[in-house]
Amino acid sequence: MSHGYLSPTGLEIAFVLIGLVTLGSGLLVVTVKNLVHAALWLLVCMGSIAVEYLLLTAELLAWIQVLIYAGAIIVLFLFGLMLTRAPIGPTEELNVRHRWPALIVGLGAAGTLVTVIVQAYQHTWFDPRGAVPLGSGEALGTQLFKYWVLPFEVLSVLLLAALVGAIVLSRRGRDTEEAEA
Amino acid sequence: MSILAASSTTATFVAPHVEFGKLSPMLIAFGTATLGILVEAFAPRKQRYGIQVGLALVGIAASFAAVLALAGTTASVVAQGSVAVDGTTLFLQGTILVISFVAFLVIAERKTDQNQDAFAAQGASVPGSAAERETTRRGWQTTEVYPLLMFSVGGMLLFPAANDLLTMFVALEALSLPLYLVCGLARHRRLLSQEAALKYFLLGAFSSAFFLYGAAMLYGYAGSVNLAVIAQHVAHPTAGSTLLYTGVALLGMGLLFKVGAAPFHMWTPDVYQGAPTPVTGFMAAATKIAAFGALVRVLDVGLGVNSAENVWRPVMQAVAIITMIVGGVLALTQRDIKRMLAYSAILNAGYLLIGVTSTTAQARAAVLFYLPVYGVAIIGAFAVVTLVRDAGGEATDLSRWAGLGRRAPIPAALLAVFLLAFAGIPFTSIFIGKFAIFQAALAAGSPDLVIVAVLASALAAFFYLRVVVVMFFSDPLPQGPTIAHPSIAVKTALAVAAFATVALGVAPSLLLHLANNSAGILAK
Repeated sequence: MSHGYLSPTGLEIAFVLIGLVTLGSGLLVVTVKNLVHAALWLLVCMGSIAVEYLLLTAELLAWIQVLIYAGAIIVLFLFGLMLTRAPIGPTEELNVRHRWPALIVGLGAAGTLVTVIVQAYQHTWFDPRGAVPLGSGEALGTQLFKYWVLPFEVLSVLLLAALVGAIVLSRRGRDTEEAEA
Repeated sequence: MSILAASSTTATFVAPHVEFGKLSPMLIAFGTATLGILVEAFAPRKQRYGIQVGLALVGIAASFAAVLALAGTTASVVAQGSVAVDGTTLFLQGTILVISFVAFLVIAERKTDQNQDAFAAQGASVPGSAAERETTRRGWQTTEVYPLLMFSVGGMLLFPAANDLLTMFVALEALSLPLYLVCGLARHRRLLSQEAALKYFLLGAFSSAFFLYGAAMLYGYAGSVNLAVIAQHVAHPTAGSTLLYTGVALLGMGLLFKVGAAPFHMWTPDVYQGAPTPVTGFMAAATKIAAFGALVRVLDVGLGVNSAENVWRPVMQAVAIITMIVGGVLALTQRDIKRMLAYSAILNAGYLLIGVTSTTAQARAAVLFYLPVYGVAIIGAFAVVTLVRDAGGEATDLSRWAGLGRRAPIPAALLAVFLLAFAGIPFTSIFIGKFAIFQAALAAGSPDLVIVAVLASALAAFFYLRVVVVMFFSDPLPQGPTIAHPSIAVKTALAVAAFATVALGVAPSLLLHLANNSAGILAK
């Protein structure tokens, strides 16, 4: 089977279309004047990235994307907006003065990323429907618990240290509050 | 559907072979830290301090015993290529553990400050508030610092051993995060301490991001984060080298930040000044050892091929020169002893970078010798700083130190020993270390670096000796600082540090021999 960029399959067309959705919703996140709408557009953006993962048969990654980014993080945003009484209607203050430098930095970072990926994988061809399910939960789990088991375990230790540290920095004893009163 | 097919196959998972014996030093350190957290949860408040200090010291000793047991075993790459256990690793791990033991003796000190250790009674209470006074009066202690610092020790043991960039990054975070936290817990001058912690955290997070970005670039270049695979790709390039160079530059920024080299040194003086002084000593010594170990491994194992060396060497040499100039010149202008020692740490990072850029086995051995002797001396110096006290904590302003030599001859004399060693006076350990590094650099063909280093040393001798002169040849202040009488633990730490500094200057051959033997063995 010959691989080329000029005879797209249905999968590739779908991939590009979803990619356009991602790009468009990403643009809307930074241009809409309403914070809640921006958060909801971010949800669309994250969700369509999850669909892209699914099209590449990275099913576990897709679910993680939905659970963590589309789920937890957007909910955190919305709760943050709700609890801090941030302006919910359209606000003109969202116009940032650093818009143009930010655009340049954003384009620069995107350009670098694209260069890296093109450089790294220009001669590699992954067949998404090939014999080896690269992105399946099984493959990912095998990678993680076979080759990356030590860094993985040390990460859990690191999280424990961060948890204890957060408690150390923020804890106030009950006795102290009485003393303050 | 292939997705369904993949999930329905019942492939049995073969558990990876993990060499627990070879990993035991770090496992013991992390295990001790975890036990320490259980102690926090279950032991009564009054007994926690004793249990925590004892546990930490026993853990460090056990980990050191594990390193000794591993000494002499063949160099090998373990844990699926994540960790290299070789001569250099074991030497550095042993050094970090000895240094940590001495540092913990100083950190646990309570006698110098009215039966309180150097840490805030409660980190969250507002500086100067009633809550703070109340918790202090009740004698509360933040005993969590001991397990946190043990986590840091574990990360330091893993950092120089890491054989792939991902493990290295995780180790970097494991060693840094507890230090960020502990920096903000100084008992006195709370605001300065909190500022230091925040600065250290923000800049540290920034440098970690650089490190990670660099690692991603190198992954793009070589298709792997393993140092050996990167080395193969550097030797036999299959793609353009743009990614390699950007990756190395970004990775280098992350590592040089941890090392404290200019122009990535900005955090050093503020953090060293604001952190609790015993912790500053620990950071200055142990973090530097771990970070230089990692730097040597990345440069020698991952990028040790000639074509790559020719690219990074001039850059690193320039960094070494800038570091020495910045450290030497700015140290001259300091009025605060902790800030002065911070700039001196930057200067010493410059000397060590000379050794790193020379890349010969001789230079590596010189670096391995320099790290422990410098570490022990800097812990000793900061331990003396903890003894000179005012009402509001330590008297770190140099003007307050006038005539200290007459009022407290023993601490002043000890500090003089350490400062003379930093100044590179013959018959001190650091003189031998500098001599070894300069000799290796000359042999490797970079006399220009040695000239800058010698000039910087001459400059440095001036400000080290100025402290000695202030202490011994000026009249004591009428309301000078008090000199605390330390407990036997700090006395031991100071004695060990001073003895090592002098003894390794007079008879360095044993450690030199060990460093020479360890430096040649680098698992690839």
